[in-house]
Amino acid sequence: MTRRNVFALLIALTGAGGLFAVLIVYGGTGEALPALAATFLERSIADSAAVNVVSTVLLDYRAFDTLGEATVIFASVTGVSALFVRAHLIPQSRGAGILVERAIGYLAAFFWLFPVYIVLFGHLSPGGGFQGGVALAVLIILLNVVYGTERGASILTTHRLHLFEDAGALAFLLIGTVGIIQGSAFLANLAAGFPGGVPGRLLSSGAIPLLNLAIGIKVASGLATIFYEFLASWDKAGARWKP
Amino acid sequence: MQIMAFTTAAALFGIGLYGVISQRDMIKICIGLSIMESALVLVLVAVAFRAGAEAPILTPDAVRYVDPLPHALSLTAIVIGAGVISLALGLTVMVQRRFGTTNLRAVLSRIQ
Amino acid sequence: MTAYEFAFLFLLVLLVVAALAAVLVRGYITSIIVLSVFSVLMAVVFAFLQAVDVAMAEAVIGAGFMTAIFVGAIAKTRRSS
Repeated sequence: MTRRNVFALLIALTGAGGLFAVLIVYGGTGEALPALAATFLERSIADSAAVNVVSTVLLDYRAFDTLGEATVIFASVTGVSALFVRAHLIPQSRGAGILVERAIGYLAAFFWLFPVYIVLFGHLSPGGGFQGGVALAVLIILLNVVYGTERGASILTTHRLHLFEDAGALAFLLIGTVGIIQGSAFLANLAAGFPGGVPGRLLSSGAIPLLNLAIGIKVASGLATIFYEFLASWDKAGARWKP
Repeated sequence: MQIMAFTTAAALFGIGLYGVISQRDMIKICIGLSIMESALVLVLVAVAFRAGAEAPILTPDAVRYVDPLPHALSLTAIVIGAGVISLALGLTVMVQRRFGTTNLRAVLSRIQ
Repeated sequence: MTAYEFAFLFLLVLLVVAALAAVLVRGYITSIIVLSVFSVLMAVVFAFLQAVDVAMAEAVIGAGFMTAIFVGAIAKTRRSS
């Protein structure tokens, strides 16, 4: 064990011990929920008619937070794209072999169904725009791995993915602006006149399914863009990259 | 159960921190960062936990629910963590392209 | 200690072992695969703690997306060195 490892071990033990002490003192094992959480749980049905309280918090009470989160994803996609701006995707026709291709071909319809289900039922069951969007991005990655990037990247080009991402972000902002037009707050839900419906039905809880759909499209295309950027390469003749 | 989760979260945080400090390869450092981030999400979820309470999906026969607010926050943290790690990996690839290695010590000696 | 708590404790021990292996193992690909196993275990722990939304996000991101991105980065940094 070198001196550097001993030093790292000491720092790590200090960090873990400090975190543990803070958690034991301030972590709280109080039985009653905080007042804010109790209010959220009580008023979720009345305020936005959504059964899944997490999606109510995410897309109604703290929707502005979610807008910030979408902005962070946008920034990270922009950063990765800027890093790989000189690189371009060299399509490969070689896939994972005939057996895997045929098997995935039979299963692909069910694979598409799952992320769509997660996104559309976000206000009723666990899931939502983020989970479904990432699942959709992983599905795009899987199809690219199985069938080779030649077919995948010719259907979903980076350009089209960027368009989808911008459309998702714009849809989120437009749905938020409806609240201002109706004389309520930005990203207001039922107060902005969206129909509440019967809680527990698929078509209910106002703007939350629409926001889920917008976020799902945005996250899926953003993360798929990051994956395509990681696949891109610099051609051999290209000069060394200079900062 | 909460105490067990807190202990594990502290241990995982320590393991991730050890990886970040002791490793010299940038991809290994990214792995350590990812473990630290998961540990902090575990802290948030454990703070929200109440013994015998249900998941925050409203059902007619459930009485007590866990705290939904930290769940929303930790969802945000997970997705942002994925963005941060992918940006860090992009920077790693660029460093490899510029210096021919991802070993931080070799990169630092090349700069000086 | 109920069976539920015992199963939870077993999962937590597995989680720590997986994290240690991901940090200490030498190979890159081995490390990434262990990290994705770690993410799946973490998702099960979240489901035990009644955080179903977070569990779904962790499973999809940690085991799916991050593995793909890490493998892509490793393929790029190992090839030309």
